[in-house]
Amino acid sequence: MAVLTASEPEATRSAATPWRNRAVDALIALLLPAALLLLWWTASDRGWLAEQILPHPIYVYQTLRDMIASGDLFYHIGVSLQRVLIGFCIGAGFGLVLGIAMGLSERVEDYVKPLFLAFAQIPTLGWIPLLMLLVGIGETLKIIVITKGALVPMTLNTFAGIRNVSPRYLEVARALRFSRWQTLRLVILPASIPFVFTGIRYGLTHAWTSLVGVELLASSEGLGYLLVWGRQMFWLDTVIIAMLAIGLIGFIMDGGLNRTERLIQRWKRNDI
Amino acid sequence: MMSKPAHLAIHNVTRQFSVDSRTVTALQYVSLTVAEGEFITIVGASGCGKSTLLRLGAGLDAGHEGEIRHRGDVVQGPSLDRGIVFQEPRLFPWLTVERNIALGLENATVSKAEKKRLVDEHLELVGLAGFAKAYPHRLSGGMAQRAGIARGLVNRPDVLFLDEPFGALDAITKAHLQGELQSIWAKEKITMILVTHDVDEAVFLGDRVVVMSPRPGRIREIVQVNLPRPRDRTSSTFGDVRARVLQSLNGTAHVRDPQPVPTETKSVLPRPAHAIAAVG
Repeated sequence: MAVLTASEPEATRSAATPWRNRAVDALIALLLPAALLLLWWTASDRGWLAEQILPHPIYVYQTLRDMIASGDLFYHIGVSLQRVLIGFCIGAGFGLVLGIAMGLSERVEDYVKPLFLAFAQIPTLGWIPLLMLLVGIGETLKIIVITKGALVPMTLNTFAGIRNVSPRYLEVARALRFSRWQTLRLVILPASIPFVFTGIRYGLTHAWTSLVGVELLASSEGLGYLLVWGRQMFWLDTVIIAMLAIGLIGFIMDGGLNRTERLIQRWKRNDI
Repeated sequence: MMSKPAHLAIHNVTRQFSVDSRTVTALQYVSLTVAEGEFITIVGASGCGKSTLLRLGAGLDAGHEGEIRHRGDVVQGPSLDRGIVFQEPRLFPWLTVERNIALGLENATVSKAEKKRLVDEHLELVGLAGFAKAYPHRLSGGMAQRAGIARGLVNRPDVLFLDEPFGALDAITKAHLQGELQSIWAKEKITMILVTHDVDEAVFLGDRVVVMSPRPGRIREIVQVNLPRPRDRTSSTFGDVRARVLQSLNGTAHVRDPQPVPTETKSVLPRPAHAIAAVG
């Protein structure tokens, strides 16, 4: 039987933000883009910039429709996404393993971390000239560059996550006589999930930006290529569309990860 | 004539730490024998080494001189026979209350069904039956500490060490939980050793109150509490014992420098022995 009666008030939390607030938030977020669009429109109408440099929004919209209709846009997006996906998976996977290894073992940290930090200091694009000579300008180059982009933040964040596990939790593990494996599985890994997720988000962002970089330099397809090609042809409408696509896809990926993170870390949410 | 070994025997324990290349003596020649099923409370100002003593007993700290034996075996590291409840509940926020409590059975050799039964039983015992599936962030401080106590108890340890378990709670919740802990102790008959800086709590819960003084941490006096349970905090006899403990704590009594107590099995003593003042 219960030795005690519930006497403390149950902790209550406010429910999710009402949809009206969220709608207002969304409107506020759209304010700045709308203002920019208006500025662009006005600038084109008034001819503040030459049409070759800043095409009219309506003209860009027509090109966009053409590119969607012809399948060109989605083809290039598909190529880019595939590269990012492969490179990100390899980079994040290795980063996770490396971060865990460095976090758990001071010896691995001593051996690997200095070189890794130096390696991380070289911007992703700085690797391209050397890599071009080593592997050529094919798919391998792009995958390696993207992998590197994802690897660095993933490794460093995972490492930080494991090192930041509270010694208080580790003491509980010790008091309960957890084996090394139990401590890893039940304490260290779950405790470092928030850091790992930060690593995933930064990793994906880096992978995406590295992709565009490498496609700018060496590619015949993909969104980065679209940018270069548009510039060379002086088709600024294509350039603008490619830029918008890059930004929008990055934004969606980050948002998707954010949602996944909250779903996985339900225990952090206040409104279960 | 040797009878069966003491339930928990702390013998001439000295523990020193080096802090900034200085040596700090946290405990000096501390000796205490705890009987099975006894409720010992240890009270003292901060820095008197009471938490160090508790951690040594639980096997979470080491590097001491002297000896701590549990059922005759020298304490070397943590054991499932010795549970611990910390000041902060230290629940894992990513696990539900029931999973947190089940962690206490992670290394116990019980079947899955038995595990479930034990967890439910202890949820019930600490009054959290309705919160099995809740995550810790939804619990108030008092409820979280109940879960912490359940996790310490679920494996049926021989001794439960409690390190200022109610130190962070408000006065009303604290009084509630003290009453509840007492009922649990009376019901489960587990030896409990509780560290506190709250004299009222020490007298309310302890069969004996161990009063410690700081620099170096040592036992000043052990006060026997011969009051029927559950105790009435407002009774005059309760007030008498509390006054006795406070007096000792405030250092009105003269205290000798700590000395080692004689070891029964050894004939040669490290120093001349004095018995530590023990009041009945």
